[in-house]
Amino acid sequence: MNDRLQAVPEDLVEQAAEWLVRQGVDDPAEARAAADAFAAWKAADPRHAAAAARLENVIDGLREIRQSSTQSSARKALRLSQRPRWSAGARALSILLIIAAGLFPAVWISGTQPTHLMADLRTLRGEWTARTLDDGSRLALSGGTAVNLEFTPEKRIVRLLDGEIMVDVAPDANRPFVVETEYGTIRALGTRFLVTAIDGATRLSMLESRVEVRTAPDAPPRLLRAGESLTFGPNREESPEAVDSSLLDTAWNARQMVVRDRPLGEVLDEIARHRSGYLRYDRKALAGIHVSAVLPLDDTDRALQLLLNSFPELHIRRITPYLVMVGRAEKP
Amino acid sequence: MSSVTRDSDPLVDLYAGHHGWLVGWLRRKLGCPDRAADIAQDTFLRILLSRDALFAMREPRAFLTTTANRLLIDQTRRQAVEQAYLAELMQAGEQQAGAPSPEELLIAAQALGQIAVALEKVSTKAAEAFLLHYLDGLGHAEIAERQGVSTRMVRKYLVQCLLHCADLLPARHGS
Repeated sequence: MNDRLQAVPEDLVEQAAEWLVRQGVDDPAEARAAADAFAAWKAADPRHAAAAARLENVIDGLREIRQSSTQSSARKALRLSQRPRWSAGARALSILLIIAAGLFPAVWISGTQPTHLMADLRTLRGEWTARTLDDGSRLALSGGTAVNLEFTPEKRIVRLLDGEIMVDVAPDANRPFVVETEYGTIRALGTRFLVTAIDGATRLSMLESRVEVRTAPDAPPRLLRAGESLTFGPNREESPEAVDSSLLDTAWNARQMVVRDRPLGEVLDEIARHRSGYLRYDRKALAGIHVSAVLPLDDTDRALQLLLNSFPELHIRRITPYLVMVGRAEKP
Repeated sequence: MSSVTRDSDPLVDLYAGHHGWLVGWLRRKLGCPDRAADIAQDTFLRILLSRDALFAMREPRAFLTTTANRLLIDQTRRQAVEQAYLAELMQAGEQQAGAPSPEELLIAAQALGQIAVALEKVSTKAAEAFLLHYLDGLGHAEIAERQGVSTRMVRKYLVQCLLHCADLLPARHGS
């Protein structure tokens, strides 16, 4: 997604390319060593990982071609489209194209991140949806959300890849209901709760009943009760905070965001997720500004205006609906 | 929102001064307002993500139209390759068992479109080495032998191609 795009320094892309090529050398031992070193390099810095991901996406796509044994079609496509002009015979092709495009309407229209294209359930930015799952549980997704489902006779797993979900669990003593995120697992004990993927962490807000949270496979589970909220991730060891669960519930239904004493950057991230344009801001310049507010997510222009009203030190430049920049106003 | 900062952001000035003009120019060229807005948006995004922003200041409109034109050509080429690949698959028929899902196909098609654009910017030898390795799964030594170069050279070719693959905005599919 464009607003998630970050400039990756060229030298990092160069390094990533070097590593990628080295892990493809003929000698298996050398390739394995390079792959390990590459993994360590990626883990060392999120910018490394971002640089690598750009290249790996392309390689993954090509692997897909190889695995489906469609190389000859791929090569033919490369040759065909090299022709400067479309011949008469190509017209037949273009009819096929329309058929082909018609087969994949959702992916054709959206500009979703490739990894999320594979997600079982997903929403576009600004789109909200709710689904009743096979077991009777309700899963609601806010904008820009991607979720994978793994339901077996033994367990029910919802994987939150991005965005925010509201979960309403149907009780089933024999099949635990678990929400997994990058930063931990949440085991429902008959319950209703909200899970949000934020920058480098997961936020869990309890509306009813209780859940067990595990932030690492070997970590002891933590119990979270209704009216409590917990943010967990590699650099966030926070204790639970109190939230007004009925307010959260109402807000969700009204497509609003309720925040209490959150960094402005986090709030802007969330607004950006509900906006189809490009929201640009300097996290550093805005550091130190904390927000408590109820903001409409289905009208992000108004949300920004409300922020501006309560924070005179903010400065919002609306260059077009596509490009809005948020910064600090100059002192008079 | 009408307030003005003292130290102006060159990108903001570029956007404020020329975005409307660029959209108009693209609309006349393409005859499609939506696509014009998309390409204009990508043009600015590209400048934003590159380090060419300062360079743009000297001849902003020439720079914008060059960038937009390049994007248009790349996008057209990318989509042509994607669609040709999908059409090829349909013509080839569904005789394969365990055929890939539409999503998998689309990811494959997008990657192919992306490399098609990237490979145009390197030598034919480098492009062929890239395809032999990543598409056909040939090892470095085998490619080196076929091309009569060193494996070191093959590695260099591959890095070159990968760098061009990275130098692209994500594929965008307009309606």
